[in-house]
Amino acid sequence: MKYSKAYGFVFLTPVVIAVAVIYGMIIWNLVAAFTVWEGMRATWKFAGFLNFGNLFELRRFWVNVQNNFLWLFFFIVPTTLLGFILAYLFHGLRRAEKVFRQIFLYPMALAFIVTGTLWAWMYDPGSGLINSILGGLGINTAKLGWIALPNIAIFCMIFSAFWQYVGFALVIYMGAIRGLSDAMIEAANIDGAGHGRILFQIIFPNVGHGTLICTTMLAITTMKVFDLVWIMTGGGPGIRTEVLPYMMYRMTYSQHNIGMGAATSIVILVLAAAMVIPYSKWAISKWVR
Amino acid sequence: MGDKRFKATSIVILVILAAMWLLPIYAMVNTSIKSQEEVAAQEYLRLPRKVMFNNYLTAFRALRVGLVNSAVITLPATAICIFLGSLAGYYLTMFEFKRSQLVFFWIVVASFLPYQIVLIPITTLIGWLNLMNSYVGLILIYVILNIPMGTLITATFFMKMPVAMQEAAALDGCKPFLFYRKILVPVSIPGMVSAAILVFVQIYNEFLLAIALTRGPKIKPVMPILAELKGSQIAQWHIQMAGAVIVSLFPLLIFILLSEYFISGLMAGYSKE
Repeated sequence: MKYSKAYGFVFLTPVVIAVAVIYGMIIWNLVAAFTVWEGMRATWKFAGFLNFGNLFELRRFWVNVQNNFLWLFFFIVPTTLLGFILAYLFHGLRRAEKVFRQIFLYPMALAFIVTGTLWAWMYDPGSGLINSILGGLGINTAKLGWIALPNIAIFCMIFSAFWQYVGFALVIYMGAIRGLSDAMIEAANIDGAGHGRILFQIIFPNVGHGTLICTTMLAITTMKVFDLVWIMTGGGPGIRTEVLPYMMYRMTYSQHNIGMGAATSIVILVLAAAMVIPYSKWAISKWVR
Repeated sequence: MGDKRFKATSIVILVILAAMWLLPIYAMVNTSIKSQEEVAAQEYLRLPRKVMFNNYLTAFRALRVGLVNSAVITLPATAICIFLGSLAGYYLTMFEFKRSQLVFFWIVVASFLPYQIVLIPITTLIGWLNLMNSYVGLILIYVILNIPMGTLITATFFMKMPVAMQEAAALDGCKPFLFYRKILVPVSIPGMVSAAILVFVQIYNEFLLAIALTRGPKIKPVMPILAELKGSQIAQWHIQMAGAVIVSLFPLLIFILLSEYFISGLMAGYSKE
């Protein structure tokens, strides 16, 4: 006998209210993006796609979109790949596994603001750690500006996030590989398959759910990297490291253009929802029995 | 296939990578205890000739109010999220409720969507409630945004409970809240702790709302203050690093001491494993 629903409905109410507020705010934002704003003042007059039109005309917007896609690819692929390979290497050495796991996982406990402070120092062209080490090895660092160089700044920033998130990919894959049967790997080993083949032709196809979890979560993370941009570069050099949430903040609070800020949020919402909704459907179908 | 050779190679690779992963934190702590002159010499990897704990005093003085504010905001927000979230998780997993799948779905989506997209309505809502620059305003928003996560993680753990336990309690006439308080919570302490750690770290590390909903230093949590420290003392790496260590101390301690919970929270929260 399960408890009847009427009895404890009060248990669910607070969460329903909170979730309703979240969706309410999303709807408010949607309305705001389609209405006319006089600076910070709402007129609630329907504007059609005016705000979006203004947004899409900006070169800055397209640079931001491009940067977001750079994040998607250059953050997700290396993080997932290294996490996967590490998980496989860990599988072979059970005893040392715990120590190594901690070493790769501890950055996950750090705030983006801390990671950003730390890596801004690592990359500093004049007095940073990386250039001081390279200088010590006798390498001329005059041209190694790292985060200050327009063409590679965003990759430097992505690398710091990669450093922080590899541990996440690692634990997801460790769980997935543990779920596989040892016999499968043993058999391949006896057949004389090389480790590369075992890794990519035998294990990888069998940890698909791990890959899905990992890539989706990392993709959602790329939509949240506001803090890193703020602390490391402020979007610079120029706008080369700006991402959509950062531009949304600047439009709203520096340029006081709420209409376009709201329109930017809707763009982010659409991009995020395209990943979140199918993923959630899949997760629930696996999860609720 | 030389299994020994493979093992040796993989250990070498792991050690090199591990060194790369530890280098930043080593340099950070090392620099945080050096004098300004030694920092200026830029030999960051060399151990300090003289240990300067004064850096920590300087950094702590700048961060103290922020740390207190963070505690005042984060602890109650986490407690409320876990309490209300676990009640909902209990309801959704153990009660006769046909819509529970649908409710779950919308909670999962809400917990995964980046909260940055509702920044403008959040500031409007908080301004409208007259809660700008107040503890209550920040706590309220953090609770709203993190309750879905609290519900999901606790629900994941409740699902693993044997149904028979709850059925027996119901047959014996045990009231739902009594069951929650006397049986469910005590046996699912690990799940509650995992959820609490994840939510705590998320709120404590949050930055965007902390700057958008506060004005001036009175209410400001510690993350924006650390960010300001970076802006105000451009070349003083040793103070910045001391500040970064102080701010990270709490989450890192939790991670080191309770890493099993941290990991199971991550797994339950993100992957629904």
